[in-house]
Amino acid sequence: MFLSSNNFILLVFREKETSPDLSAETGARVILGNPCQLEGNLASMESSGSHQPETTATNLNADPLAITQHYTILNDLHPELSSLQELALRGSWRSILDKVSRARSLSLLRYPHDHLLYLSFNVLALTKLRRFSDALEDIDSLENLDSPSYCYESYPHLYPNRSGSMVPFSLRWLHAQLPSKLGKRQETLDRLYLLLVRVKSQFMIKSKSSNSLDVSVSVWKRREEFVIGTIISHHLSQKEFGVCLALIRDMISGDANNPTLLSKLGYAQMQFGDLEGAKASFDKVRELVHVNGSGAELLSEVGMKNLVSRNKALIYMVGKDYVSAVREYEECIERDGLDVVAINNKAICLMYLRDLSDSIKVLENALERVPTVAVNETLVVNLIGLLVLLPMILMPPALEFKDASLLEWYLVATVYLVDCC
Amino acid sequence: MSAAQGPHSLAFRVMRLCRPSLHVESPLSFDPADLFVGEDIFDDPVAASELPRLFQSQSLKSADSDLTYRSRLLLHDPFDATGLSGLLVLPQSFGAIYLGETFCSYVSINNSSNFEVRDVVIKAEIQTERQKVLLLDTSKSPVESIRAGGRYDFIVEHDIKELGAHTLVCSALYNDGGSSDRKYLPQYFKFIVANPLSVRTKDTSFLEACIENHTKSDLFMDQVEFQPAQHWSSTVLKAGVHHSQNNSIRNMFRPPILVRSGGGIHNFLYQLKLSTLGTGQAKVEGSNILGKLQITWRTNLGEPGRLQTQQILGSPIPWKEIDLQVVKMPSVISVQIPFVVQLSLTNQTDRTLGPFEVELSGTGTNEEKAVMINGLHKMVLPPLEASSSIDFHLNLIADKLGVQKIPGLTIFDSREKKTYESLLDFEFFVDSD
Repeated sequence: MFLSSNNFILLVFREKETSPDLSAETGARVILGNPCQLEGNLASMESSGSHQPETTATNLNADPLAITQHYTILNDLHPELSSLQELALRGSWRSILDKVSRARSLSLLRYPHDHLLYLSFNVLALTKLRRFSDALEDIDSLENLDSPSYCYESYPHLYPNRSGSMVPFSLRWLHAQLPSKLGKRQETLDRLYLLLVRVKSQFMIKSKSSNSLDVSVSVWKRREEFVIGTIISHHLSQKEFGVCLALIRDMISGDANNPTLLSKLGYAQMQFGDLEGAKASFDKVRELVHVNGSGAELLSEVGMKNLVSRNKALIYMVGKDYVSAVREYEECIERDGLDVVAINNKAICLMYLRDLSDSIKVLENALERVPTVAVNETLVVNLIGLLVLLPMILMPPALEFKDASLLEWYLVATVYLVDCC
Repeated sequence: MSAAQGPHSLAFRVMRLCRPSLHVESPLSFDPADLFVGEDIFDDPVAASELPRLFQSQSLKSADSDLTYRSRLLLHDPFDATGLSGLLVLPQSFGAIYLGETFCSYVSINNSSNFEVRDVVIKAEIQTERQKVLLLDTSKSPVESIRAGGRYDFIVEHDIKELGAHTLVCSALYNDGGSSDRKYLPQYFKFIVANPLSVRTKDTSFLEACIENHTKSDLFMDQVEFQPAQHWSSTVLKAGVHHSQNNSIRNMFRPPILVRSGGGIHNFLYQLKLSTLGTGQAKVEGSNILGKLQITWRTNLGEPGRLQTQQILGSPIPWKEIDLQVVKMPSVISVQIPFVVQLSLTNQTDRTLGPFEVELSGTGTNEEKAVMINGLHKMVLPPLEASSSIDFHLNLIADKLGVQKIPGLTIFDSREKKTYESLLDFEFFVDSD
């Protein structure tokens, strides 16, 4: 479990000016929750007279409660982190804004990393609420993110033996993405490419470091993929397929057995019309999943099966064999009722089979049954398109009740989507 | 059909059915390690050993009834950032329709009255200036009834072969409610067909075809083939073709030929050869028909379009069996001072030609010439193998100032007894000394 060795000991000794660590605040939490533990530890500390990580760990392990309560553990990083996380996972962005503004006005944020963490949540919430210029303004209130004032080593009294940047990576990403939301696409692309350079160089530095930084290295590798993925999405939205293909191929050359990545290559090829290429990509995916069992770290077994099925269904669809496509999607939904891609695409295929009412039913059921995954902009747009095709359903009195609830759904969905992108 | 029919119980609704698109949505989601901690925290060995497990337990917590919106915040696969989820989206607007595409439409006829409608004869046809094409006709087996509030749907398809205004005419002939009056409802849906491509050709012994895309979307060139006319054979010339790997890898990674929307161009090069070589200057009577270009393109999700050009005409200049080019020319040429020109003679056939005799044309006349050969008037060149060339020098002297031409050179193949005239057309400037 994550509890830095210096945890509550440092807090206890704060008055003696021992430097608190990143997780210092947790010390308070854990102590408040487990006063017995504190005394036990104090006793052992006094006797050993030094910070012994092993000793504290054993003591904590002795208390099962401290380990199993997840939010406590998250709060090791920051006292409010688990509540911020809960709000974020629930999409309560306004509450997050309130919380941040309260913390700021009451000067509850003591450490530099606190400020940054709260700011990154603030920017994220503003972005999710589509208040893009406010978000950008908040980021611009900071100095350059590469400034030493955001590095641990600038505060040796606060963070002894800790070095590196305390900027959450999401903040850098948002800083790059926001201009495009305000229409400045080129600025975003420039920032993303610069970010990519930075990520690659961090990856190189950590790979070559004498300390074994395996976890850090793999985290930066993932960040590289994340940034390239974002860049690809921008080029795709401008239909710059040549660049996308080059970038995807580049990624594949470093990670040739990634079935989700290869599937995305297939989708890109299919989108601009290279059906032969898409088929070849999907064949490779099937081979990887069925023969090599690749992708286990990305998706569950059901997830992989559904990926292969959905790819197969797309091939049926472009060949106009809608019946087979629907069958594939039904198998996917049976395996995983939350497979929103299968649900949405099944509805589309039903429409091409002239089964408009079933097509609409599939989407409506999903919105009722699994609203949190089904409320997806594309799915709702499709549903509205289908309804427009279904004439006069709003007119006859017998259908009014159904319509009212339908309308309500879409109003809810639209409001939600506006609220939370 | 009665003149005054009153309001209709039936109404048509149409939706153009092109293929859907694969939606690209840029998600706003993150890996927990990018959200909740500073970016370099994993350098700390304690964090490195504890945090990943903590975050993983957060993100993989998806119960069957997942009531949080965690999937809207947490990113599990970094490549999901590409936005390619595989979600299909219906076409949002009618879009533009082009020659060579297939027009496909969902038609729904709906009964908005409170009565049943019986014996419905439905017809759908496409009308253009030139013709009417029947797409659907249920006169042989009319739809027995459409209940109140019910509908009857069908899908029609039509290959677009004409430009300009098109009208989809949907009509229904039916009995309203219990009455025996036949009512007739025609509805018209208009659209305009535009030209998607223009093809420009340029030819000498090679045919260069330039395809320009006038549509609003990129076109993936699935197949572009030149179908040569009689007596001609063609080979497409492509740079850097790899005869490597197996088919599937090649297909997966082959660079697509994508022509950009709104004016993008792509050039195709074909080498044309006369199949009846022995006849020398094969000049077909009348116009010189080379053949046709057959183009198949695809747009989103493989939506196909097909066009064939008109017959492409070749220029009357026959394909040259030998070619003469100037390789090197002195930078300064002064009047009445001899200079040397290096020329290259190429044999463009697949058999050995020659030996050759090279001389200035019109040597017989006494006319004063601006440029003359300084030296022997006739030069002999050895035979040339197929597709090979030879360099030789000509000693020339110019007698007049200004822009001059290398005088017509005649090359005589002494074995085949064939004369090639005036192969060179090269100008240069003669300065005073």
